[in-house]
Amino acid sequence: MKVKYLIEKIEGEAELEFDFKNGLVDNVNIYFPFYRGIEEILKNRDAMDALVITPRVCGICNHAHLIASVRAIENGLNKAGINIDLTQKAISLREFTLSCEIVQSHFKWFYLVALPQLLNLDRMKCPDNYILKASWASTNIVKALAIFSGQWPHASYAVPGGVSCDPTYEDIIQAESLVDEVIRFVENELIGMNIDEYHKRKEISNIKGDMAIIFGMLDKHNMKAKGKSYDRFAVFGEHPIFQTGQYNKKYSNDIDFAHIDEHPQHNSKAKSVTYKDMCYEVGPLARAIMTKNDFMLNLHDKYKDSVLTRVYARLDETIKLLVHIKSLLANLNVKELSCTLANMPKALEADGVGMVEAARGSLIHQSIIKDGKIQKYNIITPTQWNLSSGTQKEAGIAAQAIKGSVSIEEATFIFRTFDVCSVCTTH
Amino acid sequence: MARSTKLKILWLQSITCNGNTHSFFSHPNFMTLMQKFEVIYHPILDSKYSLDNVINKKLTCDILVLEGAFRETGMQKADREIYEIAKSYAKKAKHVITVGNCSTFGGVFRLYDPESIGGFCFNDETPNEAYKLFKRKLISLPGCPAHPRWIGNLLSMILSQRQILLDNFHRPIEVYGYSAHAGCPRNEYFEWKVDSKNYGHKEGCLFYEYGCQAPYTHANCNKILWNEVSSKTRVGTPCFGCTEPYFPKKDLWHTNTLMGIPATMPMDVPRRAYLTITGIAKSFSIKRLNEPIIKYKK
Amino acid sequence: MKAETKRSKKKESIIKAALTLFSLNGFHKTTIPDIARRIGMSTGNIYNYFASKDILAQEIIKYTSEVLGTEIRKINQQKTLSTHEKIHKIVEVYFTMATKKPEMIEYFLRVYLSHREVFVGECDKMICVAGFITEIMIFFADGVECGDLRDQDFFSAFGLFMGYLGGMAFLNGEAILPRALEDYIDDIAYNIYNALKT
Repeated sequence: MKVKYLIEKIEGEAELEFDFKNGLVDNVNIYFPFYRGIEEILKNRDAMDALVITPRVCGICNHAHLIASVRAIENGLNKAGINIDLTQKAISLREFTLSCEIVQSHFKWFYLVALPQLLNLDRMKCPDNYILKASWASTNIVKALAIFSGQWPHASYAVPGGVSCDPTYEDIIQAESLVDEVIRFVENELIGMNIDEYHKRKEISNIKGDMAIIFGMLDKHNMKAKGKSYDRFAVFGEHPIFQTGQYNKKYSNDIDFAHIDEHPQHNSKAKSVTYKDMCYEVGPLARAIMTKNDFMLNLHDKYKDSVLTRVYARLDETIKLLVHIKSLLANLNVKELSCTLANMPKALEADGVGMVEAARGSLIHQSIIKDGKIQKYNIITPTQWNLSSGTQKEAGIAAQAIKGSVSIEEATFIFRTFDVCSVCTTH
Repeated sequence: MARSTKLKILWLQSITCNGNTHSFFSHPNFMTLMQKFEVIYHPILDSKYSLDNVINKKLTCDILVLEGAFRETGMQKADREIYEIAKSYAKKAKHVITVGNCSTFGGVFRLYDPESIGGFCFNDETPNEAYKLFKRKLISLPGCPAHPRWIGNLLSMILSQRQILLDNFHRPIEVYGYSAHAGCPRNEYFEWKVDSKNYGHKEGCLFYEYGCQAPYTHANCNKILWNEVSSKTRVGTPCFGCTEPYFPKKDLWHTNTLMGIPATMPMDVPRRAYLTITGIAKSFSIKRLNEPIIKYKK
Repeated sequence: MKAETKRSKKKESIIKAALTLFSLNGFHKTTIPDIARRIGMSTGNIYNYFASKDILAQEIIKYTSEVLGTEIRKINQQKTLSTHEKIHKIVEVYFTMATKKPEMIEYFLRVYLSHREVFVGECDKMICVAGFITEIMIFFADGVECGDLRDQDFFSAFGLFMGYLGGMAFLNGEAILPRALEDYIDDIAYNIYNALKT
């Protein structure tokens, strides 16, 4: 029996076409119907225009697009023999703002998507309190981001050679106090304990606060071990608290852009993407696995790639990032240069790839520049990795994870544990 | 008659990135504000009706908020053209608000196919067919994205029945009557024509080399600030003119010039007046403006 | 009102006398008493108008620039003229001045450009010639905007235009040119237009 379902509030919409057999999902096709042609729009524009246009791929992870596009240009410059050395200050500021955006996104996913969806299973309405929490926490963390980037969404402050801002210690203090506020929120609301205590946790059941609510609900609905896919993971983007590489039964820190292929899909505007001809999961769970954190490894031994590990990884990462960005600010040296490249070389010929870890996983931009103009631009988004229908050889990551679901509600919740972003998927 | 029911808001998206939705969600009083309204549909909040209901049932709303660019055909949700859905709600709504540059003028996504993609009521600066139908109730909030306060305060002004004056593109004058240049901390450098020579400095004006469009962009960004703390020019990024019909222009990081003279003058300033002042200002070398504001000790 | 007119007339006659003497005897050799003598004024009275010879020198360049600027402005404001026609008229204005008031052009070439040390402070950079420069800038910008002129750096265009005219005026002043300056207007306008057009 085939059932079509319009899934909404996923940064746009998608259409899922379920194939039920004996009351279980046997197969699913995922269609993303809207294509906006960002890559086409960029053609023949000045290389730097990508820093303004590509954030407009996505309202929730626009900053990751900015960082990917600046890295693509810088990679191209380096390959063209123009050495780009970022100062530690510029590196730290980019990491800070990018991490703030990830945290923002995770808060929204948790309070606006995950919790309300689980409540829906019990026919309960999402309390205003959750929206308030999502809004308060995300507003405050993007405020810290905006101190350096000028605004969120849609900043373009990362430029080849560094960043355009030139913060003072006073700016840093203000950002620190906002991060402190958000950490306090996490302690009071999300985990119900202070962060030191959280670090000492032995079991998931030790965690309190709203995080405990979601684990309780997953338990109640018997979903913890659902949503298993191929247990393959990839992390492409460099970030000091994540290890790049891939995991497919064993770990490898080798990861090469050359092995990535995109495949058009029937009926969908989104291309699927493979690494060495196989689908890989990207995102917080992939990052946690690659980083080989003990707690995560134990959890993974028991649950593999499942609803529980995915939910846990996303929330745990929120906390890790907040702790990390505090240290970035504490060590920021304002006396260093913000930007080491005075101007873009004229008539630049370059071919560069920029890879970055966004909220939903690895985001890749490739920019081919001729005579200073963009000749070809290619964007591969995290959700293309996770949410395609798959290839001729195998079903996509999420499609595989959904197989065996007992209901549309369960299937769509599993789908949402990947934190779906429709606009990114098609771009 | 006392208001017994809340005004109904329906937030409908077309060809968009959701940037306005997320911008508005960063409003510091988001919940308090939204609780004053009945939300029929919203792209990220749990709302009373599903998108399928919005598209296939005949609901009503007082305020229709539109986000994203439109095309007459080829942009469907649940097998219906979203442009038709938007028009049918717009007919009955008391107010139609286009949030963001896309729904107002066509924005970034118009560039993909300018023949068929545009704003709801304008294609760039030209009013289209829908304009004739809805001009009486149309309020434009262009911006990429629109500032959360522009959206929030407009909704509150509608609620409290305040006078809302609009310019020729139906943008509220209280917001768009200012130039983005007003309140920029780099104003002294603009006045004395001290150019920015490199990214990453507090000092210097971005108008001459780096494409800053603030002096001829209608927006109060530098008056009310983004996320309550900052703005593009405050962090050394040029203003890209995102509230204007021609956004995004080409070569966003470069100032268009005519024989070395900025091609676009500050709002309503004649070229002769500008050049006369520039010639004088440039001839004085103000020492303070040619040095770093802060000289940290090593 | 009347006193004001009288004063500015007096000022102008001092400037004219100074211009003549500067071009006859050179800037350094000309003194304030020389200028006073030429127009039958007391030396002390001249100082009521110009506090020093340097200030007088600066005022003269401003005056010259204003005179030229006003003429070019009239050309710029004629919206029906083509860019080529405008160039023709600018060349005409310049050469007419070089012919009828050679001291003004001489002054610009021999004093302003060769005694930069005099033109400092309030006359730094190109401020004293702003009246003229502004109009040339407007001429260029309009020309690029309407698609007639090729966009380039201001000074590469300015140097071509004004260097050419200045050079011709200089050759004329040295009595090297076989023909009258005005005979060259058509060709020079044609050359300039061809060099700057799109």
